[in-house]
Parts: sequence; C-alpha cells; structure tokens
Amino acid sequence: MIKNRNKWISTALITCFTVFILAACSSNDNESGSDEGGSTNSDSIVVWAWDPNFNIAAINLAEEHYEEEGFTLEIQENAQDDIVQRLNTGLSSGTMNGMPNIVLIEDQRAQSFLQSYPDAFYPLGDYFNTEDFAEYKIPPTSLDGEQYGLPFDTGVTGLFYRSDYLEEAGYTHEDLVDITWEKYIDIAKDVKEETGHPIFSFDPSDFGIIRMMIQSAGTWFTTEDGEINLENNEALKESLEILHQLVDQDLVSLHNDWSGFLASFNSGEAATVPTGNWIVPSIEAEESQAGLWKMAPIPRLSTEGSVNATNNGGSSFYVLNIDGKEAAAEFLGATFGSDIDFYNDLVQEVGALGTFIPAAESEGYQFENEFFGGQQLISELSEWMEDVPAVNYGLNTYGLSDILVEQFQQMLNGKSVEDVLSDAQTQAENQFR
Amino acid sequence: MKKIKKLIYRNALFLKIFLVMILSIGTVALLITFSNIRMSSQLFIDTFSMTNTKSIRHISAQLTSFSDSLLLASKEVETNPVIKQYLHNNPSSAVEKSQAFYHIQQEIEQIHAILEPRETNIVLLANYLDTFTTNYVNWDVAGEELLQHELTNRAQANKHDITYQFESSEITNHIPMFIASKALRYQQNNNVFGYLFLSIRENDLRSLYEGYTSEGNDILLMDATGTIFSSSKGELLGQHATSLLHHVQADQDELSGYSDVNVLGQNYLCFAEYIPSLDIYLVNLIDHELITSNLINTREILFISATITLIALIFSFLTLRKMTVSISNIVHNISDMARYQFTRALPVKGGYESKKIAIAFNYMLNELQDYVNILLNTQEKQRKAELTALQHQINPHFIYNTLTSIKFMIKQKQNDKALTTMDSFISMLQASLNTVDQTTTVAEEVETLRHYVQINHARYGEQIQVNFLVSPDCLSLQIPKLIIQPFIENAFFHAFVDKKQGFIKILIAQKQDMLVCEVIDNGDGMEQTRDFAHLKNKKQLFSGIGIKNVHERIQLLYGNKYGVTVTSEPQQGTNVTIKLPILA
Repeated sequence: MIKNRNKWISTALITCFTVFILAACSSNDNESGSDEGGSTNSDSIVVWAWDPNFNIAAINLAEEHYEEEGFTLEIQENAQDDIVQRLNTGLSSGTMNGMPNIVLIEDQRAQSFLQSYPDAFYPLGDYFNTEDFAEYKIPPTSLDGEQYGLPFDTGVTGLFYRSDYLEEAGYTHEDLVDITWEKYIDIAKDVKEETGHPIFSFDPSDFGIIRMMIQSAGTWFTTEDGEINLENNEALKESLEILHQLVDQDLVSLHNDWSGFLASFNSGEAATVPTGNWIVPSIEAEESQAGLWKMAPIPRLSTEGSVNATNNGGSSFYVLNIDGKEAAAEFLGATFGSDIDFYNDLVQEVGALGTFIPAAESEGYQFENEFFGGQQLISELSEWMEDVPAVNYGLNTYGLSDILVEQFQQMLNGKSVEDVLSDAQTQAENQFR
Repeated sequence: MKKIKKLIYRNALFLKIFLVMILSIGTVALLITFSNIRMSSQLFIDTFSMTNTKSIRHISAQLTSFSDSLLLASKEVETNPVIKQYLHNNPSSAVEKSQAFYHIQQEIEQIHAILEPRETNIVLLANYLDTFTTNYVNWDVAGEELLQHELTNRAQANKHDITYQFESSEITNHIPMFIASKALRYQQNNNVFGYLFLSIRENDLRSLYEGYTSEGNDILLMDATGTIFSSSKGELLGQHATSLLHHVQADQDELSGYSDVNVLGQNYLCFAEYIPSLDIYLVNLIDHELITSNLINTREILFISATITLIALIFSFLTLRKMTVSISNIVHNISDMARYQFTRALPVKGGYESKKIAIAFNYMLNELQDYVNILLNTQEKQRKAELTALQHQINPHFIYNTLTSIKFMIKQKQNDKALTTMDSFISMLQASLNTVDQTTTVAEEVETLRHYVQINHARYGEQIQVNFLVSPDCLSLQIPKLIIQPFIENAFFHAFVDKKQGFIKILIAQKQDMLVCEVIDNGDGMEQTRDFAHLKNKKQLFSGIGIKNVHERIQLLYGNKYGVTVTSEPQQGTNVTIKLPILA
C-alpha cells in the first residue's frame, strides 16, 4: 500500500510539473515575440535631404556603391527651410525624437547648429581624411578642431545661360566670360529688349544672389572676427544696388518657391541662371532644351578684389548623435569620404561636383556635357572652385539675410542704399547682440 | 473477427467504464476550453474597446482642434489686409511683384504658425494665377492647373464655408491629400479675390491617430459621401464604403458603443464618431478575430487542455485497467472453476477490491473444501463400520452346518477327521474375529484358506480339487484378511452345479508392482454380464462379506488402480483377478 501511495504522489507531481513547464514555455514565447516587434525600425538609416535631382540622387548613388549587408537607407525629402526648422525644434527640445541619422546642412548654416548643439552631432574625424577635401570646406564643417561634417558638394557657381536667347540679343560666349555685374545689367537690358525674356528669376525672400556677389569680393555679412559688417560694406552696397537696378528696371521675373524657380528656366522664360553648380541636374531635367544651355563664369563686382568665382549653397553631411550613428558614419566614410569610383559616377550620372580632391584626376571630370553643347562643365567648375575666396560665414547668415531682404523691400520703395545699410546694421546689432 | 469479439466480450466492463470516462473528460475539457477562450476574448474586447473609445475621443478632439486651426487660418487669410491688397491687383512691374511676393509670403508664413499639425500647407492662389505656398514639398502645384480644377470651382460655389475634399489625382501629383478650400471674398461686394487651399498629406494626417492603431485595430476617416480619405490600413484608402457610411450614420443616432459591421467584405467591430466641424466620420474598425488571435493564444490553451485531458485519460486508463482486469480475471476464473477445478484457489492480485473478493472467495472455498472432506470422512467411516459389522457376523448357518458335519464324523467314529475339521474351524473363527483393516501375511492367509478348504472337503467330499500356487517372494507380503475367501467360496458353491467335479486354482504372485491373486476354476462359467452376487446362498456363506463388497473395499482402501476383475465363459470356467498393492 505504501509503495502504491508513493507512486500516486509521484505521478501527481509529474503532472503538476508538466503543466507548469507548459505554462512557462508559452510565457517565454510571448516575451520573445514582443522583443522582435520592437527592433524592426532601428536598422534603417534615415536621411534628410531636399533636392531629388541633386543631393537625394547623390545619396541614392552612394547607397548603390555601398556593399554592407543589412544596410537600408530611408531618404526623406523635405524642403530645406523645413529641415532647418525641424532640426532646430528637435535639437532644442533635446529629445532627439523623430530626428534622422544623417542630415544634409548647407555650409552657411552649419556653424549655428554646431555651436548651438555641440553634443547633438557625432564627430566624423575618424571616418575620413580631412586633407582629401577642398580646404575652404573644412572651417564651416568643424568646431574646436573636431570634424563634424563630411563635405559634400562645392557650391561653386556659374552663370548658366540660354545661348539661343543671348545670341539673339547679339552676345557670344566670349562676351559673357569674366564680366562684371554692371555689364550683366547691360546684357539684361538687351536681352529684354530683343527677346522679351527676363535675365533671371528672383525670389524676393531669398538673398542667395547677394551672398554670391559679396563672397566673390571676399567679404561677408560678418567680419573674420564675427562682427556684424553691413554698414560701410562696399561689396554689399554695390550688390544691393545691382539687384535694385535689375528689379527696378524690370529685368527679372519673380518666383516665390523652389518649384517656381525650376519653372522659371524649365519653362524657357529666364535667360540665365546665376547660381551654384547644383542646379545643373535640374536644368538638364528639361530634356527639350538640350544643347541650348551654356555656362560662363559668374560676373564679378567692380569692388577691388572681386573675382569671377563664388559659392552658393554647398552642403555637407552630418551624423546625429543617436542610435545608428556608427552605421551612418561608416556609410558616409566609405562612400562620400573615400570612394573615387563613386565620385566618378557622381559627376557623370548626377552631375554633382564634390570637393573630394583625389577624384579630380578621374576621367569623369573631363566629361563633355552634351546638354551644354559639349562644354566640360566639371573641369571648368573645379578650376573656378580653387579661386573661390574663403570667408567666415559666422553664425547668423540667414538671420542677417532676412533683415536685408526686408530692408531691400524698402529700398524698392525708394529708400537710399546708405539708409538701408545703416538701418540693417542697427537692427542686426539689436537682434544678434 | 471472432478473436476481437471475444476480446471485446472479455473486456466489456473496462471498455464501458473507459468509454464513459473518455466522453465525460472530453466533454468537460472541451466545454471548459471553449468557455475559457470565449470569456477571455470577450473580456479582452470589452476592456480593449473601452480604452479605444477613449483614444477615439482624444483623436476626435485633436481633429476638432485641427479643424479649428483650419478655420482660424482661413479667417486670418481672408481678413488680412496685406494679402487682400497684393492678391487683388496683378503687379505689373518686377518691383511691385517683388513687394507683393515678399509680403504675401511673410503673411502666410505667419498665419501658417496657427496651423496644427505643422505639416499642413497653405497654398494661396491669386486670380492672376500665381501661387504662394508655405512648403512647396508638401504640395507642388501650378496656378493654372489649380484654377481649372474642380477644387477651385467647388470653393467658388460654396459662398461662405470651407469645402473639405479628398484628392489623390493629377493635381496633387497622385499624393493622397485632404484639402480644405475656400474662395476669398471681399466683405462688401462678395467678389472673389483669391483662393485659399489648406492641404495636408494623408500620411501627415494619419500621424494624428496612427499611434493609437495596431494590426487589426484600424482607424479611418470617411467623408460624408462615404469616401475613406485617410486610413491606417492602406488598402482602404480612397474606397467608397457606402455600407459603412449607412451603418455609421444609423449608429450615430443611437450613440451606442461598438457594433458589428461588414466593410468591403470583411467583418469588423466598429465604433464611430462624427466630427461636425469637418463633416467627417472618425471610424475605428477592430478585426475581432485578428486582435484576439494575436493576444489570446488559442492554440496554447487548446494544447494545454488537450495535454491535461490526455494525461487524465492515460491515468484513468491505467487505473481502470488494473481494477477491471483483475475483476474480469476473477470472473473468468470462477466460471472456469465451476466446470473444472473446484479446489484451486483464486490468485490474490490486482486492486484492493479484487484482492478482498479473491481472499473472501478463497476462504469460502477452503471452508467448503473442509466441509466436504469431513462429509466424505464420515461417509467412509460409516461404510467401514458397516463392513466391519458384516465381517464380524459369521454366518450362523455356516457354524451350524460345520458343527453338524463334525457331529456326524464323531458319530461315524471318524475322530481324526473330526479333529482336523474342528482345528480348521477354530482357526477360521479366530481369523474372522480381527478387524477388517488389519492385514496379515500372505502365508497366514493361505493357511486360513487351506483350513476353509479342509472344512469344505470334510463336509462335501473331495470331488473339487483345490491347489495353492504361491510365489515364494509373496509369502511375507501383507494382505487384507479374508479377501480371497469369498471367491473360493463362490467357486465351491456356484461353479460346480452342472459339473460335479473339477478344480480350483489359487495363484498369488507379484506382477508390475502389484500383488495379483487369481482364483481360477474350470466349472460351469457364466455369462459375463451376470452378477454373481444374486446367486448367493446365505446358508453356505462364511461371513457377511459378499464378493460384491470386496471390489469396493479394495478401492476404498487403496484407490481406483486396484480392485477385482472377473472374466468368465460358460462351460469353461471363471477367472477372478484381485489386484492389490505390494505391502511389505
């Protein structure tokens, strides 16, 4: 009997144990299931950029050149202003919630981000060699000797023009080489008269054209020391006067956003596009105009020291200090940071001119662009790139631009350029003290 | 087939109980499992829909504030003097245009700050076809196309209010968008001076509520025509769900909770909220099955209950089998016993009950056995007593006849002969006084028989010769008393009725481990079947023992192996064989 009882107890125990194990197993299953669910989003690297024809196309090309297992890129297109605003709100809140892994920032704005949020960015110095890049790209992309940005495009400018319109107005290519803005106004008048086309399209809210003009003279809204430098800035004064003449004499058309800008030359309205080389892919997007476009150097100011080369736009990649930063930095270092083949494809397929010096030797840079009548765009641009005067963009490039934009409206109403500059100086000193 | 039938028949008890057990355990397990699953899923859905209702209210509040911001922004744009001023006149010169563009842009940027969520985009269309937008990426549209579009016509038709519309056509570059449009009018003459479009991309609108959704728990926005213009479930986008609209409209009157509805061929639990300011329905669709199957692991519950059932069945199978098989065995043994072996005890094994039964049965069996033995003993004793009594009874006729013969001998002066007969007679009497069971040696018995023969010769003459042939090795063996005498007596008085003379031979020898005594005569003989017992002549018999009794007596004493056999042929003689054990 005792033996039997023991048997019963043991079987009962085994039953309980079995049930317990079953329950335990199943609860484990649930846990592991929920773990998997959480990790699905973290492995794709998010990039913010703004130009599908240019920098987004470049990133896509880089992804094709990058052969890392399990690496996925998610590119989110946003307007540049939107990116700037989102970055500002995101970084100042400090949560980093919804921030991308990689963001493209224009060089002229970079310092304001780096200085305001030094911990938000991940140093990239270990991922590429800064000596491989054009020297003028390094100061805007670094802070206190630490490299934060990986230089992307040069932003070197050209005067892209419709050769057919200019010819109609009686100008040849030689007539456009190494001219001043004064001469450009004369040409604009002739073009308007002969063809009815405005010389270029102007966005009253964007002073990129003014920034191009003053940098060609080696000056900026601020001095080397960061002092606000509007009043008594001869180059700025001349630039505003030139712009005033162009608008006042009805030589320009107007647009108020990017699509309006694209439409201004894709529609065949504007005769020239004086801006950074990054516009080339957008010009080429209108295939019906192939062969009608040419490129000349940007006009210079009559101010002393001004050259026929300047910079507009030009941006660099930054990695935010969040999960996935190593993967993002490795991706950038392996492509934009060192891959000559990639740069070779980049100039030919996208038409983007990087600042990676070793790539200049590659055959892609000698590429003759049929859209521009066989002109060696890249080769010429990279020559001009060397002539771009280096300036310190300082912290408030866009803030100061906005003040000038507002003042320029008053100038159109008849305010003198001297008053405009002195008022702008006062306003800026109050605002950015 | 027969074997199976037999097997079933033999295990009928077990099968019956086990079948009942399977049925009951299975039914209980099934009922408990399903009621468990049903109850937990019901409970889950109840709590789930409760929290969901709160989420829906929250989203509804957000959508309302979104619509408020739309209203506010549109009012701001319509009443803004700068916009009114620059939108009205087509600026002719670049200067005017520059000023107009700059100021309008400034104003709409400011007004844009009112809008929540931020992704909402302002598109302002001037009568002179220029458009102004706060974020061209969100909606890149050309003024000419927009002015021709139905959106603008509709806005114009609607005099005062904002028109809400879902678009994913060419005009929005096939990006699904929710657009609030309004024709801007002067207060005094109601003339249109421009159009305002507040657009939000569907995926930005979706982000308002997407955080509250999960697989099987979808939220969608539906306009008053039943078009789903925003949905966490991509395939529903742009669909016309008229049935859902009817359901939702009917539902709104009753203000009930969740109800069942069929949307585009699938069944859902549905909860809807009407947002009057936007004239849209916020609908929450719950795929009941998907949600519960995701959260309640039906397979696991089934598996556990099946395992428990199986274990219970195995245990009950084993115990039942142990119990019923022993009982079946007992039954089988008992039924066999009645036919064959009454004395064999039942094996005591199996469960407690069957052991008790076997013990009780064996006890009863033993008692019965004892009782039967006692009965048999008593009967045997009784018979022995009878036989002894018979043995002791010396036939008075025999005594009378013998004594009469002796008297005549003395009368005839044959004194010697009388003396010898007298001696023999005395020896006979002596022998018969001992008990039946007692044995004597073969030699003594033969001596006794000679005395008997001498008496008979004295009485009836010597026409019948008697010869004794005794194997010398038998002389010392034991033999029951007066066993052979009745056969010699029988031969004397019955074998020689027709024939007047002959012989009787008595042969005693060992054969095949047996003591065999033969009484052979060459007298009349008889038919085999004739029972010679009835020929008994009481007058001539020496004692009460008849030859009939001898056979019984031997068998009673020594077993069935031994006994008396008689062979006889008429006119040839009779041969009586007595088989006895060899008793030293």
